This record gives sequence, C-alpha cells and structure tokens, in this order.
Amino acid sequence: MEFTREIYWNVGHGFTTLAPMYGLLLVAVAVCALGFFKRLKVYRLGQPLDRTDGRGERVKHMLETMLLQTKVFRVPGPGTAHALFFWSFFVLFIGTALIVAQADFTDLLFDIKFLKGTFYKLFSLTLDLAGLVAILMLTGLLVRRYLIRPQGLVTKGDDALMHGFLFAILITGFLIEGARMAVTEMHIPQLAAWSPVGWGVATLLAGLDEAGLRTLHVVLWWCHLLLALGFIAVLPFTKFRHIVTTSANAFFADRGPTGKLTTVNLEDENTEKFGANELGDLRWKDIFDADACTLCKRCQDRCPAYATGKPLSPMQVVNQIGELAFTRPDANLIETVGREAIWACTTCRACQDICPASIEHVGKIIEMRRNLVLMEGEFPGEEVMAAMEQTEVNGNPLGMGYAARGDWAESLGIKPLAEDPEVDLLYFVGCYASFDKRNIAVATSFVRLCQAAGVKVGILGKEEKCCGEPMRKMGNEYLYQTLAMETVEVIKGYGVKKIVTTCPHCFNTLAKDYRDFDFDVEVVPHALFLEQLVADSRLPVGGEEFTCTYHDSCYLGRHNGIYDAPRKLIRSMGGRIAEMAKNRDQAFCCSAGGGRILAEEKLGERINVKRVEMAVATGAGQLLANCPFCLTMFEDGVKGANVEEQLRPRDIAEVLAERLALKNA
Amino acid sequence: MNILICIKQVPDMESKFKINGEGTWYDRADLAWRMNEYDEYAVEQAVRLKEQVKDADLTVLCIGPDQVTEAIKKALAMGCDRGVHIADPDSAKREPIAIATMIAGFAKDKNFDVIFTGMQSQDRGSAQVGVMVAELLGIPAVTTIVGFAYDNGTVQVKRELEGGSKALVTATTPVVLTCQLGLNTPRYPTLPNIMKAKKKELLPLAPDVGGLGPRQETTACAFPEKKGGGLVLEGEIPELADKLIQLLKEKTTVLA
Repeated sequence: MEFTREIYWNVGHGFTTLAPMYGLLLVAVAVCALGFFKRLKVYRLGQPLDRTDGRGERVKHMLETMLLQTKVFRVPGPGTAHALFFWSFFVLFIGTALIVAQADFTDLLFDIKFLKGTFYKLFSLTLDLAGLVAILMLTGLLVRRYLIRPQGLVTKGDDALMHGFLFAILITGFLIEGARMAVTEMHIPQLAAWSPVGWGVATLLAGLDEAGLRTLHVVLWWCHLLLALGFIAVLPFTKFRHIVTTSANAFFADRGPTGKLTTVNLEDENTEKFGANELGDLRWKDIFDADACTLCKRCQDRCPAYATGKPLSPMQVVNQIGELAFTRPDANLIETVGREAIWACTTCRACQDICPASIEHVGKIIEMRRNLVLMEGEFPGEEVMAAMEQTEVNGNPLGMGYAARGDWAESLGIKPLAEDPEVDLLYFVGCYASFDKRNIAVATSFVRLCQAAGVKVGILGKEEKCCGEPMRKMGNEYLYQTLAMETVEVIKGYGVKKIVTTCPHCFNTLAKDYRDFDFDVEVVPHALFLEQLVADSRLPVGGEEFTCTYHDSCYLGRHNGIYDAPRKLIRSMGGRIAEMAKNRDQAFCCSAGGGRILAEEKLGERINVKRVEMAVATGAGQLLANCPFCLTMFEDGVKGANVEEQLRPRDIAEVLAERLALKNA
Repeated sequence: MNILICIKQVPDMESKFKINGEGTWYDRADLAWRMNEYDEYAVEQAVRLKEQVKDADLTVLCIGPDQVTEAIKKALAMGCDRGVHIADPDSAKREPIAIATMIAGFAKDKNFDVIFTGMQSQDRGSAQVGVMVAELLGIPAVTTIVGFAYDNGTVQVKRELEGGSKALVTATTPVVLTCQLGLNTPRYPTLPNIMKAKKKELLPLAPDVGGLGPRQETTACAFPEKKGGGLVLEGEIPELADKLIQLLKEKTTVLA
C-alpha cells in the first residue's frame, strides 16, 4: 500500500481550481505589497540611518530571533505560547508550501511526487500535531488576553481579528482534513493513524453521508483558501504586520556597543536644530520601531518609572511616535509624549533589553531630551540646571571646588599623575567617589585593595572632571562633549595604558562613548578588576561566611552583561547571596541613571525605596552594590523605607577591604 | 532701546581660597571662575526686556584680565548682542569708584536707557559700583530689585528692604538698576545661541580711570579666626531635647 493522499482531492486540479486560486493569491499578495509600500513612505519621513552594515551578522541575528524565537522565549508563559504557536504555524506553512510544490510544480511538470511513504507519514503526523499545538497555544493566549486580562495589556479590535483569523484557518484546516479522511481513510487505520487529529475529526463527521462530506469539504476548502489569502492581504493593515516588521527590525537592530548613544556633530555650523521635537527629526528606524511593536508590554512591565506611578511607558512612547507618523506627522512630538514622561526615564535599558522586537526606546527619549536642553534650555528642574552649571564651572555636578577633587587621596599615599605618571593603572575616580563622603569610603577601600595587591595606582586629581555621563543622558550633549574631549586629552597626555573605574557610568562612558573621540585605552570596572586580583591570589581574603544580597547596577548589568564576576567575587570572600526576585538582566533600577541622580524624584513612589524593599525581602542584612549612584540611592532608600537597622548598603570594594583586614587580623 | 549690562567675573565660592603673596586679596591659583550671581540676574532681566520690547540692543561690559571674556561669552550666549571688554589685569585691586569711572566713561555718550548690574559682587561685595555709575552719569539708581516691569519709558521695580518688606519704585529711563536674588531665574543658554555668541562683536578697550588717583587701599586680608566649633548632640530625640534645654539654661539667657 502506498502511504500518500490525493492532493486536490474532491476539489479538482483543473483550470477552474488553479486559475481562481492563483488569481486570488496574486490579488492577496498585491494588496499586501501595496499596504507595506504605503507604510514604507511613512518610514521615510524619518532621517536617514544606515542599518545595512555587517549584513551576514544581521541576517544571522534575524533568523535566530525569528526562527528560534530567542527573544520571545525569554518570558515564560506568553512567550512560550507565542514561540510554540509560531513554530507550529511555521510548520503548517512549510507543509502547505510542500503540497503546492509537489502538486503544482514537481508533479505537474516532472511527474515527481515526494509526499509519499515514510516521508508522507511523518509529514502528515507533524502537520497534524502542529495544528493541534497551534490551536492549544492560541486558546491559551486567548484566555490570557480576554479572561485573565493581565494588567497593562492593551487589547484592540486587531487582536480579536487576529484570533478570529487564526482560529478559523486552523479549524477549517482540520475540518477539511476530517471530511476528506471520513471519505477516503476511515477504512485504512494504518494510514489514518498518521493523522490523529484529522482522524478524530473524521470520526465526529462519520454521521454524514459521502455526498454531504464532499460538499462540506469543498465549501470549507475554498473558505480555508480565502481565509489564508485574506490573512496575507490584511498583513500590513493589522498587527499581523509584525510577522514582517518585527523580523525585519531584528535585521535592522542596533549592533552596539550596547547603550552607546549617537554622537551629535556639533562642529557643523549649518546645523540649526538639535534633538527631536518633530517626527521628521527622528530617524526612520524610530518610526519603523512603532510598526515592529506588538504591544506585548514587556518593556512597560519592567520600566521602573512606570512601576512607580510616573507618566512614562516605553511602549506608549514608541506607539505615540507611530501614531504621529501615520496620522498627524506635523504635530509636536514633545507635546505628544509629554515632558514628564521624557524626563522620567532612568535609561536603565530594561525596556530595550527585553524587547523581542529590537526596538530602541532609550535613544528616542534622549533625542527629545536633547531638543529640550539644547534648543530650549529646559531641564526637569532647577536643581538639574544648577548641576549643569556647577559642572561647567567646577567639573562636577555637586558644586564642589575642582581643586579639592584629589584631596580624599592625600592620606593614602597615592598621587596625581601630574606628580607621578609612572603607575600600573589610572583610577578614574568619578565625581561621587571624589567628593561624596559615603563614596569616598569606597574609593579609599579600592585604593587600599590595590595597594595590598601591590598595584600602583594613580589618579588625575584636580585634572579629573566629570566624564559627562549624567549630562549626556539628560540631553546636554554640548556639555558632555566638552567634558569628554578634555578628559580624553588629559588621559592621552599621560599615555595611560589601563584605567579602572569604581563607577559603572564612568566605565560605560569611557569604554564606549569616548570611542567617538578616538579614545581606545583599556577600561575595566572595579568589580572585574578585583575579581581578577582575588582569582590570581593577589588578595588574600577570608573571615566568617556572611549573607548579603547583590544589586546588579544597570550599567554593569544590562549595559555590559557583567553578572557573574561580581557574584563570583562575593562568594570568594565568603558571601552567600540571597538573590532579590528581580536580579541580573531583570534587575530593578535604583532610580539614578539617565542623569536622574541630578534630579529630584517628584512624581509617584520612590524607585530607590522600592528597590530597597526588595532587598529587605531577601532577609539579608547587607545590600551589596557596585555603583556610587546606586549606593547613594540605597543609603537614601533605607531611610525612606525606614529599614536603616535591617539593611546596610555597601559597595563590594568596601566589603572586600574589610575581609582583607579580617584575614590579616 | 539701548541697554547696558555690567557684569563681573568672580571665583566660584566653593573654591579653595588662599590669601595671595601680598596678603591683600585672594590668590588666583586653583580657582574656578564664573559670572557673578547677581549679574546673571541682570543679564537675564535685560534679555527678557528685549524679548518684551523686541527692538533693543544689549551691550554687556566686563572689566578684568583676558579670562573674563568667558563671562562675556556666557552673557552673549544668554542673549546679549555685543560685548565690551575693558582689559584691565589690575581690576581686582581697584576701588569701586575707579571701576564706576571706567564704566561711566564708556557709557556717557551711548544713551543707554537702562543699565542693569548686580547689587554687589560675590567676592568684593562693596555694592557701590552700580550706584556710583548712576551718580557719575547723573541718572537715578534703584538698588536690590527683586521685581521688574517696563512700559513705554517707565520702569516699575520692587526693591527688597530690611526685614522682608518690599518697596515699589517707579522711575523713568534712563536709570541704573541693581539686581538681587529672587528677581528671576537666569536661563540656560541654548546651543544655537552659544554658537551665535562666538560670532558676536567683542570690543576690547583699554582701562581709563580719567586721572582718578587712589583714594583707598586694602592693607591686609585674612580668613576669619577659627573659633570653637559647633556642638553636635547625639542620641534619641527625647534625650536630645533634654540636653538642649539643659544647655540653653546653662549657657544662654533665653530661658531665664
């Protein structure tokens, strides 16, 4: 017996079938293409941007994210359901394509049939199971969307239409199969068994006579075809478009370095406008992003501003841009998004990191901030403007006299490079560790550790200025570039080979943003540097075991993927880490990124208090940090949450220095 | 409308001050410099006045060594139209009347309708230059203004008086106004204005005190003597309150 089936059974394989079928396919494809073509015009309202470099890598990334659903899969539950649905539907698509390939090409032209025998058995079983999985997953997603209704999930007419289309396609598919099998396969169980779902449906239809089954089959066959073609036709006009746009966006994705902002050309005297307050100031990718967004709300769920009742939802910002582009491109972008939303961002990257659609949320917000600062002289508050002015005068936002920048180190026996340039490494101290009493303790610990390991450290002292990170993230590109250029010149002047930072904001800026100023000195964050010293047995640490929790700063974590080394360091000094619920790439920001360290938090709950409460919930008495901004926010947060007695925020360097002392004692 | 703004560049007050070699003023090393805070209010008010009347020309004048052009550039970036730099490396040594004479010498034939300046400098703090300029030009001066309105040649200002009371004063132009904290919030210069400022006219002038001889001289300058430090009480709040009451009874007469 030949294991196969007659393709176009009961429908006929003649002109009366093929002509309307391919004719309608042509129409559907044309409607789809036209729809996308019209959208293409809208994307072009944006500024040019080359996202076609490194095509091989881009294609690979696109195929990975699309076919393997790597990003979608990161959120269990809906992500799993989507991935399984995608794979099932993809299998069904391939299956249909194979049928078309055999019936209308290889068999028609060359008398070659491959859907037979064992291959047919597997083919039939796979497609049957794929259809079943697709229906189950779709049902799960339907229940989630319409019955469970997760908080913040936006449901529109589109979603009902999509569920309707997909269910109709899948169910008519099984009914067609069932009707066919009821007539042709019921008496051949060894064949029918390879289409278990179809067999089940056929059993249900067994009550109908052959004529009835044949009528049902042919009517449903055409319905199924029309639904499938309709699906293609409505692609660009519904959220189905994400099949194309989200995949394409994976190709167009930012290839890094992660979190590096675009450097504005301030030398060009013809530029009269900076930043974005109109749609046309954004880049085409910013508009395309809106079309790639599926409103999955993963960004919104992770946004610390949104979670604390501030008027910012990254998802909303992306879609407001889309709405402007497609409905009122001349409207004011900043008024549409709203100043409070624009200033609320901490650039923590939680949104961008989790986004399965390769959307770049942060850059858009920075562009709007740039417009407010550079074109209007506007800031979120007078305290931020004052910090900017302080930085212009004294090179630090705290307003401390610049000449006292190196004073903290005087008693430690380390000198500015101006006095002694022969050092193993330059410690780029940063503003907080230079002037803020709490963070001077961190700097002191770090220097003592270096000295204990026999590493000769130098600082820039009064020649050091703010790296410009908070200013840049606040939109003050001019001040940032001024500071960056001065810092690059000073460091290069000493021929420094290696820099260590205790501030991840300095680290990210020196290591990535400064590349645009021809700066290529090796920069290492202290968490990595100290971990290496301990691993190399250059720092003997010991003492009793202790329990702590560890906070992944946004700029070591999501911006640089440094999660394991600090944990390894903590464990190597006897620490047992009680992880917070939100850790590693899901860590909740301390509130100070994005230049927010300079601003008062006036809206909603306090982010730092919320994070401190998460730390308290672990039951650990210490909250270890790796960033002066985090530490500052946590010191403030333990007061705000009234848990000063329960939780002690400390930098990893401080704990390590203490363990070193214990060992020596 | 023709407006003059007189500004001074001063050290940032957070700087590490040292007395200079002669022991008569601060040493200039290791200082960060900025526009005198009160002069920033003056610049801001002048720019706002121009925004109101549209047709106005703002001249910003600063006396001092070459580095003071940084302060002039800031004022130009904030919206002044032209700068005048009286290049005088010895300006820090000059008494207020000498500075006022230089300014009046420049302003006398320019028909300025309003002259804005700070109520005093943050470093010397004499609070004399503004009023002396007015006297030398023979026009009225209103000092320590915290409110300003202009209408058709008449200015109405609010002055800050002792004890928190305010006075409303009306004057007709030409007039000298010295500005006090609270008048306005100076703007942050926009980038296009910073760029434009680089191309604005900056006229260098030689210092001319018109034969005025020295009438006063700083003989010595010193930090205030360090007195006993404050007392920091520590402990629980009820305990702190008791300690405080005890101290007030023992060391002061407020509870007697």
